[in-house]
Parts: sequence; structure tokens; C-alpha cells
Amino acid sequence: MRQQTVFPKLANLAVFILLEIASLYLITHNAPLQRTWVGRAGHAFMGAVWGRTQAIGSYFSLSRTNEELARENQELMDQLLYARERLQRQKVDSLYQESHPGFTLIPAEVVKMSRNKQHNYLILNRGYADGIQDKSGIITRHGVVGIVDAVSEHHSFVFSFQNSDVSISARLGEEGSHGLLVWDGITSNGAILKEVPLHYRYQPGDTVFTSGHSVIFPPDIPLGLVGDAHVVNGSTNEINVVLFQDFKTLRYVSVAHNNSFDEIEELTP
Amino acid sequence: MRNAQFWFVYLLMALLQLALTNYGSVTPYIMITILPVMVLCIPIRTGTVAAMGIAFITGLAVDWLSEGVLGLNALALVPVALSRDGIIRLVFGKELFARKEDFSTKRSGFPQVALAVFFSLVIFLLVYIWVDGAGTRPFWFNVGRFFASLAISYLACLLSVGTLAPSHK
Repeated sequence: MRQQTVFPKLANLAVFILLEIASLYLITHNAPLQRTWVGRAGHAFMGAVWGRTQAIGSYFSLSRTNEELARENQELMDQLLYARERLQRQKVDSLYQESHPGFTLIPAEVVKMSRNKQHNYLILNRGYADGIQDKSGIITRHGVVGIVDAVSEHHSFVFSFQNSDVSISARLGEEGSHGLLVWDGITSNGAILKEVPLHYRYQPGDTVFTSGHSVIFPPDIPLGLVGDAHVVNGSTNEINVVLFQDFKTLRYVSVAHNNSFDEIEELTP
Repeated sequence: MRNAQFWFVYLLMALLQLALTNYGSVTPYIMITILPVMVLCIPIRTGTVAAMGIAFITGLAVDWLSEGVLGLNALALVPVALSRDGIIRLVFGKELFARKEDFSTKRSGFPQVALAVFFSLVIFLLVYIWVDGAGTRPFWFNVGRFFASLAISYLACLLSVGTLAPSHK
């Protein structure tokens, strides 16, 4: 019974809508004014409908948006940390420059390094185009790294301190005895201070510095801490030193060139 | 027989509407129409769907043969046909449908017929003036046009209803 009353009404409604659409079609194709009006009304309706569906769609895609924002946030955090690190390094380099008068310091980055050989080396991303000269010292805030052996236009080849052919003039304590500091050949942060006179008193934990007797490295760079020692040939001590510089984490360095290097070399017989 | 007579009168009324549309527009405020009463008087035995079809064709014919916008009279007349059943039930009661009798001024009374004509005319004019203005005419112009057209067309419809729904029916 109910179907008998509902169906005719639906049929009436369907025919009504059909005829009205047909009328509107005829109107819009024969009257420019009405065409513009109907078009505008249609656009407003579509805008409202699609705007609402767009809002609903945006709500359900919030989870994906959050993930994208989190990833983007992480990338920005990484960039910020990198920028801070670079800024910090620039400040340190500037202080370095002031703390090492007579030396020109040029920041550089290690692009290649060997650590598992007896004659290890580094390659830096700076060359003579950047002012790098051979026989320059490579230093960091934590000690010495090596000596420039060869220079190309944009790169430098460096003998690492972890090289059995490299030795550095070092000093025990602020005003102590001098000796030669060499790599122990085994660990990434171990060295041996050789030729320390037996009469010289020292304590484990004393700091070892660059002596300044070399034209390659500036004086008073802290290198490491004194460990145990043993007598060699009954005439000198050999002292184990734990270096401040860990070569495993080495990335940024400074190239230190003595401004009087050529003049001093000419005087050397 | 009476049906054939009605459709003949209906055709004559459509021709009269054409004449009114072409020659009766003396001011933009006034439009004279008898189309709503023509649709209202379509015999009850004719269903709503058929009445809407007839209204659509009538409106289209008037638009096509006059200088109006093609589809405008059809657009305004189809809602009159849709609401025809409702208006008749509201004004004359359900008995007419039960007896399948058409209304007339003698049987149903002139005031009730006039009220039914009024409702159908209001529906027609509301749609017609709204769409004809197409959002370009001021609101008060449309209001003035509606009431002026309602007054004149109502008079024309009341004069016509006696022919379409004669008392002897």
C-alpha cells in the first residue's frame, strides 16, 4: 500500500526534475543573460560542494600530512645542527688564528683518509688555489694530524701522524723536557714520546704540548696525556701518550703554515 | 466528448496567451498570463506526469511562437502542474479525486476556484520573474513586477476559468 503511494510521487518528482532541467537547458542555450546567471549559480554550488568534500578529504589525510611534517621537521633539524657545527667551527678557527701568531690557518675538510696501514695518509679538499703550501702542519683543537707533503690545485696530500715516518717535536708539561712524539703504530689515539731524559720528573696525567721548535706546528698545542713509561737503553725514557685527537672521528682540520717558513729554511744549513 | 471540447478550448486559450504575450506587454512591470489557470483546469483524470508534460509543451510552444526566452514559460509552468494535485486537494478536498470529477465554479464555488487560481498563479509568477530577472534586476523591481503582474493576470485568469471550467460541468 505504501509502495503504491510512494512510487507515483517519486515518478512525479523524477519527471518534474527532468522537465525543469530540459527547460533550463533551453533557456541557457537561448538567452545569454540566463546562461551567465545559471553558470554562476552552478559554479557557486560546485564550489560549495567541492570545498566541503575537500575539507572532509583533508581531515582523513591528516595522518599522512603529519608524517610528512615530521619528516620535514627532521630534515630541518639536521640542517640546523649542521649549520651550528659549521658556525662553531668558524668561530674556533677564528680563535685559532688569534692564538697562533706567525701562522696562517686555513680550514679544510678531510675527503679521504687511511688508518689501517703503517704509512697512513689524508687528502684534504684544499689546494694551492686556496693558499695551501707543502710542509704545512695539519692541526685541530685536539692536537696535530699530519704534515702536507704534496699540493694540487684543489687538494692536498698529507702524511698522517699515524705514519711511522712522521715525528713531532713535543714538550712535557708547560716548561718540561722536549722529545719526539710518534704514533704507537697500533691504536687510533696512542703515541710514544721518545728521548725524554731520565732525570726529568713527570707525573702520569701530565699534558704533552707541541714544543714550537718545529717550523711546521705552532707551539703549545695540547696533544695528549702522559701514561706509563719505560727506560730505553738505560739512557732515555719512552712515555706512552694518550692523544686527545681520535683519528676515527676526524673530519675538519686546519692547515697551519708558518709565515716565516721560507726565511727559516734558507737559514738552515 | 467533453474532453475534446476542453482541449479545443485549451488550444484557443494558448493562442490567446500568444496574443497577450506579443501585444500585451505595455510595461516591464506587467506580464499577463493565463497559462497557470490552463494547467490548473486540466482534467483530474489526467495524471500529474501527463499534466507536467502538457504544461511543458504548452510553455515551450508559447515561448517558441512569441518573442520570449525559449524555455522560460515551460520552466515556470511545470511546477504549477506538479502542484496542481496538491492545490486541488487543499482547496476543494479529496472528494473530487474520489469521484474523479473536475472542479467548476458552480459545483465548487467561485471563491474556492479563485483561491486555487491564486495559488497556481503565485507559483508561476515567482518562478518566472525570478528566472527572467537572472539576478540582474533589483529586488524591489521584481517585487513590484510580481504584484503588478499578479493583479492583472489574476483578473485575466478569473475571466478565463469560466471558459475552461464552465459551471455546467
